Amino acid sequence: MYGWVGKILRLDLSEGRSHTEPIELYNDLYVGGRGLGVKLIYDSFTPGTDALAPGNPLIFNTGPLTGTAMPGSSRVDVTALSPMSRLRAKSNFGAYWGAELKFAGFDHLVITGQAEKPCYLWIHDGQVEIRPAEHLWGQDTFQTQRLIQEELGDPEVKIVCIGPAGERLVRFACLISETGDAAGRTGMGAVMGSKNLKAIAVRGAGSVKVARPQEFLELSLQANREIRESPAYQELSVWGVARGVHMMYQMGFFPVGYFEDVCWEELLEKYAAPEYVQKHQLKTVGCFCCPGRCMNFLSVPGLGKGVTSCEPFSGFTGALWNLDMDVFWEATLLTNKLGLDCTETSASIGLLMELYHDGLLKAADTDGIPMERGSKEAILTTIRKIAAREGYGDLLAEGQRAFAQQVGPAAEDKVDLVKGLAPHAYEFRAFHGTALMQAVGHRGDPLPLRGSLLEVDWNHAPEWFQTVAKEQFGSEEAAIPTSYQGKARAAVISEHMERVADNLGICKWLYGLFAYQDVNMAHRFFNLVTGKDWDLQQLLTVSERVRNLERMFDVRQGLTRKHDDLPKKFFEVPLAKGKFAGQVLKREEFEKMKEEYYELRGWDKATGIPTRAKLEELGLKEVADQVLGAA
Amino acid sequence: MLKALIIDAQKCSGCRSCENYCSLKHEGACNPAQGRIHVVKWEQEGIFVPINCRRCEKPACQLICPKNATYRNLETGAMEVDPQRCLGCLSCVFACPFGATFVDPESGRVLKCDLCDGDPTCVKVCPTGALTYEEVSLETYRKLLANADQIPILVRAATGRPELCTAG
Repeated sequence: MYGWVGKILRLDLSEGRSHTEPIELYNDLYVGGRGLGVKLIYDSFTPGTDALAPGNPLIFNTGPLTGTAMPGSSRVDVTALSPMSRLRAKSNFGAYWGAELKFAGFDHLVITGQAEKPCYLWIHDGQVEIRPAEHLWGQDTFQTQRLIQEELGDPEVKIVCIGPAGERLVRFACLISETGDAAGRTGMGAVMGSKNLKAIAVRGAGSVKVARPQEFLELSLQANREIRESPAYQELSVWGVARGVHMMYQMGFFPVGYFEDVCWEELLEKYAAPEYVQKHQLKTVGCFCCPGRCMNFLSVPGLGKGVTSCEPFSGFTGALWNLDMDVFWEATLLTNKLGLDCTETSASIGLLMELYHDGLLKAADTDGIPMERGSKEAILTTIRKIAAREGYGDLLAEGQRAFAQQVGPAAEDKVDLVKGLAPHAYEFRAFHGTALMQAVGHRGDPLPLRGSLLEVDWNHAPEWFQTVAKEQFGSEEAAIPTSYQGKARAAVISEHMERVADNLGICKWLYGLFAYQDVNMAHRFFNLVTGKDWDLQQLLTVSERVRNLERMFDVRQGLTRKHDDLPKKFFEVPLAKGKFAGQVLKREEFEKMKEEYYELRGWDKATGIPTRAKLEELGLKEVADQVLGAA
Repeated sequence: MLKALIIDAQKCSGCRSCENYCSLKHEGACNPAQGRIHVVKWEQEGIFVPINCRRCEKPACQLICPKNATYRNLETGAMEVDPQRCLGCLSCVFACPFGATFVDPESGRVLKCDLCDGDPTCVKVCPTGALTYEEVSLETYRKLLANADQIPILVRAATGRPELCTAG
């Protein structure tokens, strides 16, 4: 087989047993990566199982292009039932682990059960061992990786692991590989912790075979060159996103505080990320085989070394009214070492700051620490206490809503969540397509979606990006942030594009957003590697099947139209300042966008549930029978 | 004029493109373990060191080979292995003081960098300029310029008289 190495490794930690299963049957319908992940979780999850129970499968998925020489070929999708949303979890990480898993002989891992004692997995050259990890329990993610590499006597072993936060089942604990490549969202660290599984170490010397190696080499060389020449990557490879974030603040796309505002003049004037990067950056680094280097490797005396990419640059600055870049860096390192999702962590601290600011929370409620806006003590102590489940951190570790409920109804009213998660830190009042994509998204995630990016880009050159939107989404309006027109189609097309990269196990920043703005390049690579002769539409049909099956998993969990919503703040409190002052989402227009979206998708408008006809068209009749009832 | 593959580890971002493209080019499959170049990584320190054949003046791999299978390609300077003569004894692998003679984990063959016959693929894909393939004299000349450039700065610092020199 070309591209795929051909095996799913199924492992039951309760029994200490594993077996492998061939994947050929799935390839044509689901391709791999996220797509096959959805199929595997749909089939192996028993409804009614708790997210932290042994029966919740934790699934890692690479794609047919993962591990190949093409740029950006090392993405892994992770899924399970999310302990935050009780819907399907989805998280994705890069670095080197995914490629190494394939060199070790496996495309997918499905882990169920619960080990009696802490353990870690050692997967190498087709073998798997369950090894004791009591000596690793309690160690941070950096130390855990070092200790495992020492124990196995090989510094090139690649590891994904949890920190103390995952061990203590913090609901938004994440997985970390290297010094900051995170499967950040939807609480995968808690699921792994609930299995007493500390880490998965992989190493292999096997090949990913290529059907048409000569042509593939030539196209890979071309992509390598084109990516290096692309303006976006010339910026990212020097600065990471350090300068881009300031631009986002200028355009009013990143919120300030807990979505309290969108313009903070002091931040626009004093945002010091570029200077900080200039002073402390050793180099920029990226993932396996990628010439683009989106991550800053910083070394700050007294604080430490590691990488960071986009989210902490806003999450630990503007979102917490913080201008001190040392605090940003300490918070970033802490969350990565303790194994916390930085997005949810910063939003949780933001909630405390807003409640304190509004007088709903007193210092006495937070172990005597005043939750002043921008307070260094508030930020760093809260992170430590969440991970340690100590004092007020214990409740906050259960999630923002659980915490606010304890404070009272007025506090609960302030909580901004989309499907149980902090919305991605983007502003929606002026970016209406982004709002739609966030609301209907399977976990609430508008970016990185192409349609959302166009709304941001529009600020640079309106006419140009309207033309692009016309070509790509059939409507100039799709690019105009404040318009409600053309957004539904943009959302559908963008979602299908995103799933092409996710299903192939490659980087969607490169193949669909910043280097190549469509999926044609990814499609060419797919055929050269696998030897198939698919047209682009076939890949996009897989995307549609995957989108519908994802939806049906969540429908089976009880999801309906009313969950496709945004916090009421976005409908009630207009932006006070900045470029888009006065903008607020109009409920009626918003609902109309949703209906247009459901209609384009072939979903029932009243419920937001895929119709039997659509499911049958996509070969999902069984799913329709199981979830919608027999015809 | 003799060209050399020059490694500047300071610039390496650790992406391992060199390993994987090398394997693709020579073996037609993607497998860094079949690369003729390897990057040693200390990821938590941000230190990455690509290791490749040094093409020594007195190559241990050549001297130790019982069958004279290892020879220098006089066009490129690369140390290559004649597969017809090679016994597979791996003496060259163990003799290499740099650990830069590799073994194919699947077949047990010796893997030596052949500089892609004077057009190294790894250099083409290295995104940071950590790998370059240049004429030796040009490389030394660049270093000479860089060092000369430092001298006025040192003079200025030593004398405490910045007006002596505006460079730097």
